[in-house]
Amino acid sequence: MRHHRSTTLAALLGAFAVFAVPAGAGEIAAEGQAGYRDLAFANTAQALFGSSSGGTFGGALRYTFWRGAFASFGYRTFSKDGERVFVASSTAPVQKLGFPLSVKIESLPLTVGYRFRVGHTIVPYVAAGAAFTKYQETSTVAGESFDQSVSKTGFTGAGGVEVGKGPLRFGAEAGYTTVSGAIGTDGVSKVYGEDDIGGFHVVGKVVLAFGIK
Amino acid sequence: MTTRAFPVAAFALLLGGSSSPLPAQDVVKAVRQARTVAAPFAYRDGQVIVAFRDAVDPRDAERALRSGGGLEARRSRTGAARFLVMLEPGLRVPDAIAAFSRMPEVEYAEPNGIMRRTQATTFKPDDHYYKYQWDMTQMNAERTWGIQKGSPNVAVAVLDGGVAYEDYTDPVTGQVFKKAPDWGDTKFLPGYDFVNGDAHPDDDEFHGTHVASTIAEGTNNAIGMAGLAFGCALMPVKVLDQNGEGTFFDVAEGIDYAAGYTEGGVKPVKVINMSLGSESDSQTVASAVDRAYSGGVLLVAAAGNAGQNAVDFPARLANVVAVGALDARKEKAAYSNTGPEIDLVAPGGDCNRDDNADGVPDCVFQQMPDPDFLKVGRYDQFCYCGLDGTSMATPHVSAAAALLFSQGFTDPAAVRKALEQTAERLGGATAGGRNDTFGYGLAQPAAALPGLGVDTASNK
Repeated sequence: MRHHRSTTLAALLGAFAVFAVPAGAGEIAAEGQAGYRDLAFANTAQALFGSSSGGTFGGALRYTFWRGAFASFGYRTFSKDGERVFVASSTAPVQKLGFPLSVKIESLPLTVGYRFRVGHTIVPYVAAGAAFTKYQETSTVAGESFDQSVSKTGFTGAGGVEVGKGPLRFGAEAGYTTVSGAIGTDGVSKVYGEDDIGGFHVVGKVVLAFGIK
Repeated sequence: MTTRAFPVAAFALLLGGSSSPLPAQDVVKAVRQARTVAAPFAYRDGQVIVAFRDAVDPRDAERALRSGGGLEARRSRTGAARFLVMLEPGLRVPDAIAAFSRMPEVEYAEPNGIMRRTQATTFKPDDHYYKYQWDMTQMNAERTWGIQKGSPNVAVAVLDGGVAYEDYTDPVTGQVFKKAPDWGDTKFLPGYDFVNGDAHPDDDEFHGTHVASTIAEGTNNAIGMAGLAFGCALMPVKVLDQNGEGTFFDVAEGIDYAAGYTEGGVKPVKVINMSLGSESDSQTVASAVDRAYSGGVLLVAAAGNAGQNAVDFPARLANVVAVGALDARKEKAAYSNTGPEIDLVAPGGDCNRDDNADGVPDCVFQQMPDPDFLKVGRYDQFCYCGLDGTSMATPHVSAAAALLFSQGFTDPAAVRKALEQTAERLGGATAGGRNDTFGYGLAQPAAALPGLGVDTASNK
């Protein structure tokens, strides 16, 4: 009787193993991303750069570990050039001063997510996680540097679709990252009361997948 | 006119008295200190820094250094297992670093990189008597000039007793006026004489020329003294007579004239300097001030020299920047008025002191018609003379404002705010705060000019 129960259990486990391992599990994918980012510190960016958005580029490595569930680690960079300004208050006109200023925002998003309808041609997915973000600001006024560098971790969430069934696929993703408390201690961001270096992003993706089952 | 007693003749003698020719000796050379930028990839050839893990045996370290190509090594004076290694001739630094980095006992190896001082650009003029201008030091002028020297498209109107800006003989009186000797390339816009009703606002006193010279005296031309916004233009507007008195009407006329002046479709006058005051209010002047301010002009006026807790008119108007005076110690000058309307302070001097021990009184020195010749009705002789008063402090702030306009500011309220925010706090005022003695503090254009970044400010 005991032996019989063991055999039955083994059969059940075997059946679970066969049917539970989904088509996408074990897949490793590399993504290249390019798109658009709209900064959360929009008023500050508008004052210094003339706009709050610009191009963003990056990539990610994704491992599907169970059914459509995956973990992803990526890198995304955004930079923008403008000039130093003076703003007396949040409603005052912006005084442009002509001293070049650059910012660079680099994010390392670490997310987990789920890809639905794995194995189909169109695969939607969602993901959420943490975004380790580094903010760098550089400007020089007649030899004097006004630099700032802050690293802070925030939260990120995204959703998108992948199109294709083979190793080469294409996709699009939209998401939002919030990294509050990173700026706003001085400068224009203090005037406008903006402290978040995150923002909204939309990117197109090229995906190269390996280990497809 | 808010100038104190004028012990100028004595100082004229001390400084040489006459205007020209100026002695050529003892001239300070112009120094343009180039910006230095750190070069992160520059390093000493033939040297690497090698740090061992703490537990390494000294003999093992020595063996490792030799096997990696080290000829000799200098250990850190702190006793840390960190060595400056001189490499064998011909061994490249990257190759040595690669070799050392492969050794298990080595924690890290790196080039002996070069660091350089990071020095902001400054500009020291060669004007002969610049060494007496402690006021420029107090205003951090050399750093200011490293950033901005002023634009000729930005003009400061000097509402005063006229300016010695031209060679002119009055056809009616036969009076001869001469241009002061140290205007250099300073541009003058057509002004007006509201006292005498003509287009020749020449100086028949000395106050106006002295004030205007603080703003834009010819600078870095090896003679005379320096003006804080020497690249900016001046507009002489005579509203005070030779006794230093004027009327509300003429002052209002002068404000309207300066603020309304156009050249090529633009209004070049961005700042109106009023080193003058009254105890009484005037609706006429107040209305002119409001019109000018709303038209984009910043008005700056002297707080007054009564040494009392009451700021003169028009300085006490809301749309006027009220300026008090400091002596060379950055203390409130004894004569300077105080009150809740004080916005900023600037060097006004105290001719009764020599706190900087340079052998001359701590007046504010500039070129002006020589008072000794004025007594006999001559306006064609000049001296580099000292005055003190809130009249002398005011043009420092006007010049600072003109420099901000030259940098790109367009809004007078923003200029005022920038100067207030970046002023050097005095008298215990906290950051962002003010008091009735010093206002927001000593105006510092070098701190205001850089403006703001996303998360950076010069007063950080």
